[in-house]
Amino acid sequence: MTQILFKNINTADLHTMKVYEAQGGYRSLKKAFAMQPEEIVAAVKTSGLRGRGGAGFPTGLKWSFLAKDVFPRYLCCNADESEPGTCKDRELLLKNPHLLIEGMILCAYACRIETGYIYLRGEFHDLSVIMEQAIADAYAKGYLGENIFGGGFNFDLHTHLGAGAYICGEESALLNSLEGERGEPRMKPPFPAVEGLYAQPTIVNNVETLCVVPYIVNEGAEKYASIGTKKSAGTKLVSVSGHVKKPANYEVVLGTPVREIIYDLAGGIRDDNKLKAFIPGGSSVPMLPADQVDVLYDYESLAAAGTMLGSGAMIVIDDSVNIVETTLRLISFYMRESCGKCTPCREGTRWLYQIVEQIMQNAGQLEHIEKMEDICDTMATNTFCPLADACVSPVVSSIKYFRADYEKYFTNVSTSLA
Amino acid sequence: MSDDEVTLTIDGKSVTVPKGTKVVDAARRVNVDIPIFCYHEKIGPLGCCRMCLVEVEKIPKLMTACTLDATADMVVKTTTDKVEKAQRGVLELTLLNHPLDCPVCDKGGECPLQDNTFKHGPPDTRMEFHRHNDTKAAPLSPVITIDRERCIACQRCTAYSERIEQDSALVMLNRGFHNAVGTFNGEPYDTRFSGNVIDICPVGALTNTDFRFKARTWDLTNTATLCAHCGCNCNITMATRLNELMRIEARPNDAVDDGWICDKARWGHHFVHSKNKISAPRENNSLRENNAAGAKTVSLPTFPDNCTTENAARKIAEAFKKIVAEHGAQSIGFIGSPYGTNEENYLYQKLFRHGFGSNNIDHKPYHDTPGLPVNHYGFEQIETSNVVLLIASDPTEELPILDLRIKKAVTTRATRLVILNDQKIALDRYSSQSAQYKVGYDAAAIDAVTANLARELGESVPVDDANATGISAQDIKSLVETVRTSMKICVVYNPSALSKAAVAGVKRLLKMIAKIPTIECGAMPAAPMTNAVGAMDMGLLPDFYPGGVAMSEQEEIKKQWGENAPTAIGLSALEMIARAKTGQLKALLVHRANPVLDFPGGSQVADALRKLDLFVAHDMLETETTKLAHLVLPSNGPGYDEGTTTNIGGRVQARKKALATTRAPDWKIISLMLNALGDETDYRKVSDVTEEIARRVPGYQGISKKSVSKTGCDRDRVVSADEPVSDTPIQATKKDGGLRLRVATLLFAHDKILDASSKLAHHFQPSTAHLNEEDAQRLGVRDGDAIVLSAASVNVEAVAKVDNRCQSGGVVVPRVSDEQGANGLIDADGGAAWVKVSKV
Amino acid sequence: MSGFTFSDEQEKEITRIVAKYPFKKSAMLPLLTLVQRAEREVSPAAMVAISKKLDCSPAYVQSVMSFYTMYHAEKVGKYMILFCINISCQLNGCDKLLEYTAGKLGITVGETTPDGKFTLHREECLAACTEAPMMRVNDIYYGALTEQRIDDVLNSLD
Ligand SMILES: Cc1cc2nc3c(=O)[nH]c(=O)nc-3n(C[C@H](O)[C@H](O)[C@H](O)COP(=O)(O)O)c2cc1C
Ligand code: SF4
Ligand code: FES
Repeated sequence: MTQILFKNINTADLHTMKVYEAQGGYRSLKKAFAMQPEEIVAAVKTSGLRGRGGAGFPTGLKWSFLAKDVFPRYLCCNADESEPGTCKDRELLLKNPHLLIEGMILCAYACRIETGYIYLRGEFHDLSVIMEQAIADAYAKGYLGENIFGGGFNFDLHTHLGAGAYICGEESALLNSLEGERGEPRMKPPFPAVEGLYAQPTIVNNVETLCVVPYIVNEGAEKYASIGTKKSAGTKLVSVSGHVKKPANYEVVLGTPVREIIYDLAGGIRDDNKLKAFIPGGSSVPMLPADQVDVLYDYESLAAAGTMLGSGAMIVIDDSVNIVETTLRLISFYMRESCGKCTPCREGTRWLYQIVEQIMQNAGQLEHIEKMEDICDTMATNTFCPLADACVSPVVSSIKYFRADYEKYFTNVSTSLA
Repeated sequence: MSDDEVTLTIDGKSVTVPKGTKVVDAARRVNVDIPIFCYHEKIGPLGCCRMCLVEVEKIPKLMTACTLDATADMVVKTTTDKVEKAQRGVLELTLLNHPLDCPVCDKGGECPLQDNTFKHGPPDTRMEFHRHNDTKAAPLSPVITIDRERCIACQRCTAYSERIEQDSALVMLNRGFHNAVGTFNGEPYDTRFSGNVIDICPVGALTNTDFRFKARTWDLTNTATLCAHCGCNCNITMATRLNELMRIEARPNDAVDDGWICDKARWGHHFVHSKNKISAPRENNSLRENNAAGAKTVSLPTFPDNCTTENAARKIAEAFKKIVAEHGAQSIGFIGSPYGTNEENYLYQKLFRHGFGSNNIDHKPYHDTPGLPVNHYGFEQIETSNVVLLIASDPTEELPILDLRIKKAVTTRATRLVILNDQKIALDRYSSQSAQYKVGYDAAAIDAVTANLARELGESVPVDDANATGISAQDIKSLVETVRTSMKICVVYNPSALSKAAVAGVKRLLKMIAKIPTIECGAMPAAPMTNAVGAMDMGLLPDFYPGGVAMSEQEEIKKQWGENAPTAIGLSALEMIARAKTGQLKALLVHRANPVLDFPGGSQVADALRKLDLFVAHDMLETETTKLAHLVLPSNGPGYDEGTTTNIGGRVQARKKALATTRAPDWKIISLMLNALGDETDYRKVSDVTEEIARRVPGYQGISKKSVSKTGCDRDRVVSADEPVSDTPIQATKKDGGLRLRVATLLFAHDKILDASSKLAHHFQPSTAHLNEEDAQRLGVRDGDAIVLSAASVNVEAVAKVDNRCQSGGVVVPRVSDEQGANGLIDADGGAAWVKVSKV
Repeated sequence: MSGFTFSDEQEKEITRIVAKYPFKKSAMLPLLTLVQRAEREVSPAAMVAISKKLDCSPAYVQSVMSFYTMYHAEKVGKYMILFCINISCQLNGCDKLLEYTAGKLGITVGETTPDGKFTLHREECLAACTEAPMMRVNDIYYGALTEQRIDDVLNSLD
């Protein structure tokens, strides 16, 4: 299988400059600096790379949206990785921090950016230590700082730690947080590319997205585009967790059948239980029932199946579970992580929680399902940011595919009444 | 339609609006009412409540009309099934944990949550759990009550604190469902403008503690009137019930207040029903006896028992007339009020000029001249100026709404603020440059700026003594550079904090700036008193007739005021006091002023007043001055007053009465005095006086009851003739170890208006003297030491604060209360004030 | 409010942090983190000290501080145990293990042991789902938890 990001991920001491360079690290810079910045943006466009943070927005296109002739500009790497089920960025940062630095330098050069920040979720304190060491080493080598390679290009890179807030993964909340504010999302438009950090044009990209860029520069956009499917180019890191035998991060070529990921790569369901459901893109995307396990793992196929690729976290659930339990846990997550700024999210998440909790106490009735669907209808797409939609996803999909699980609780009611 | 406009369709109605207008505001223009909670036009979009969802053609999801810019050809629908369902859904969620305590809620009857629910909400609730319990009715400050259960977390109030007040004292704490409006560590939210959050809260979460449970809102009678505290003249609504003042709220007027009022406006109204109110004419018999004993030349008129105000007025007019007949017009005088209405002021000057033939008329202890050599800028011009030059003014304490306007201009319009003052002020934080001249060197500093400009323009250079001012030549240069390169500049100066030479200097500076062809220049004379500009315009001056007509313009005066109109320059207020002391002034009438406390000289003023043969005070509250008057006339004061006032921006607006009284209003009393003297004008309504002002006062031609109703009307620019200016400012020689005194104004001072029972008493401060480190060291005074400031025979106790608020050689003493007596430290001769500082 | 001063070393660190940003307000989270790590709490006095450093109101500092779950108004234990209970860990039996841990420490979730050594918090996904069930004790991640492993980890901490 084609391995781009994980090719040498388990090489000993890859996080050191010495080993990284020995593996060919930082060689893209020379090549890039010989190109015009616009050529790199064009290459990233051609490569078909799409954002790996969740929304899947074409990366090259985003770069080309930067407000013209407005400087300074900023680059923010989104290393907030908080989407339940997702832990791929952590592995990249832990084992291969220089790859991210290299990717960020390339992005900065391409977008004429002189300052970058890596926004790490607060719990990644250990990674910030590793990252800072790698950054210091890159400065020492002259990959960062002023007048890199004597080409007149400057780039400063800093880490910035969050402090416990899922919402800060949302790019505009991240920018607020980085500016020292509460991590509430910002109004859009303006989008970050026009008015982002400190109201200047800003690129926000996920760790994995930026880590792909050195490959595109080294190997060429066409080569990257040739991997995967037509609209979903390249490979994707997938965090496979839950009821599988070998939970781990796997790099898969986009278009790989989900069955292959669950059964071949991750070794199948633990205790050889039966697959009940899987959530293919992190907790925020709709779950699918076992019978859809042959869906292909790429943006279009998953969208056609009514879900999303999201951040690339495959959560596998076997048939020992009542889906209502997992749903309640996820609602609880969104309720706790809602920033509270907008009413439907703040109130809706909590109400959903109360209702499902009540159902689980065998005090539910059929009409509760209707009510939940109605609440979800008010929440979905009507909120300030997509967090509320994220909460709606597991609720609506669990009702759609696993209504029987809810009804089990209702059955108990009727028997106890009988 | 210009390039800056777009045309869109809302519910089938076409509307053209400026680019950048939000759809919700565009809709309002065609009477489409999109429901909102969090949006407030002045605060800007927040997007929190999601109440304003609308459908926009070509956009699949619903959009919030409050965050959406209107764009060309946009087609908006606000009443589709989809929209209505979303509105019902959002309202259901908004009400989910909102308590159902409407029957006991002060907001009832004027509650957007009630209204929106009535119009768009679900008929019932599907909530089957206990509503969230939270703190009910806790004090957020001594004057604001917060009910956390009722809060819908719309963030209006916290956004107001951040964006309008700009001090983030009220913030959102916690996250998600636990979001709570609060302050640091639970401390009170007691800023200068805190009360506005009551007006903007769309539910009953923030209520007026003073008004709580006093009345149901629908039982109130609302009167649109003006605040009478400072020179901003903010628009307010006075609500009364059974002829009692219940509460005051903001009444938005973009030309003045931008929708906000300060807390003094909102809660500083209890004086209206004060027990110190003067309610009937009164004579002071003990003083009469003194008079007899002192063998004064004039026999006082007597008020019969239960004398009507009308009768009293007549007697007083006759007594003054008698004195004039016996001792000449120079022997009487009038000190008017910068708090009175234009009508009162106009009539009083008419009484003294026309009735008694005297120009001994003034209203202030400082020097100023009416009119401006450049445009008179209003509040809105502050926002469109790219430079604001603030001279000797401290808007934060003196003119609060001006403070908000300036902050708004600086933070949202890229206006540059340049400050020239003798003390550090709160607005320094917003300035691009703030220069402090030494206390007493105001004229020198202003002249230095003018001189530098003149030099660059190749004009003749006035005396330039920049070195003495304490501002470096470099700083003056860069200040001048900002002025010179401005495109539109507004010079805001406080004449009451400037010396005579400095006021003249400001006018000279304005003329100099006006010579630069690339600059649009205007000014705002920013004296803190309510109607200081109106008092000047109405000719409460010894040297100017109404409308800035100088004594030298004899023809003009004769044409307007008759052949016998006096044209000799009269006595200023300070001169009148001085003449009273020597016995040359026999009779004085003081209208709504308290010279004993507010004028320099302290007890010397009282001594002088005691020497008068006839001293009449016309006021609303008992003061140190009314106590000395032989005869006292009642003045009804704000709440009962009617007439017009002119704010610092030259805007004339209507002060309307909210309370009924059988007592004659001031204008009536004065007109009766005029009638007693043979003037036959029959003023039936106050607007009859307004009309006469429009006829006779240059600048006021366009003013009428109609033109000033609602939001007021700018009067035309008043231009006054040049007056000769002494070139060198008076520089009194330094007294032994003394410091130059600067008395600073505080918004919340413990005085007649805010007495001990005031709702704002928590703002009162102890007497403090701000010293420069250098002087403190020399004097051996440390921060927190108890000190005494003394001058002449006056001693003022204070706590020393060594904070370099002024340069060395000066001391700043904020006027914290009437009792403190800070003004008494200033010499009665009007020269520079020197004080001695000693440790207790 | 007085009573909080930064040490000389912290002052140096603050200077270094502030220099990373064009606007000093950006140093808000780093400074709060600095205080939280040193004091195991962020007291009102510390918020005042931070507000002075960053030229903003103390209320603003508190507003930011109270938004993020890693800052604590009340002192937390020497070891802060964040026990992940989100979906992947739930599927792998974290609920029982959390109960076990609480029982072992003799406290309920959210509490600190009387000796001030441990604070146990239920935590949302910590991005180590492939190692579920997992917990984070201070800065260290511990995955593939079992009762035995929890015993080992907690016993190894002094
Ligand atoms: C509630 C929410 C949480 C998010 N969390 C993350 C995250 O933890 N990491 C991330 O990279 N993107 C996250 N995103 C997506 C970002 O907003 C943004 O789309 C992404 O950082 C862009 O980078 P990309 O184009 O490289 O994917 C989140 C979005 C939302 C709405
Ligand atoms: S949807 Fe939720 S997280 Fe997003 S802004 Fe609204 S309250 Fe905050
Ligand atoms: S008024 Fe538009 S979101 Fe609140």
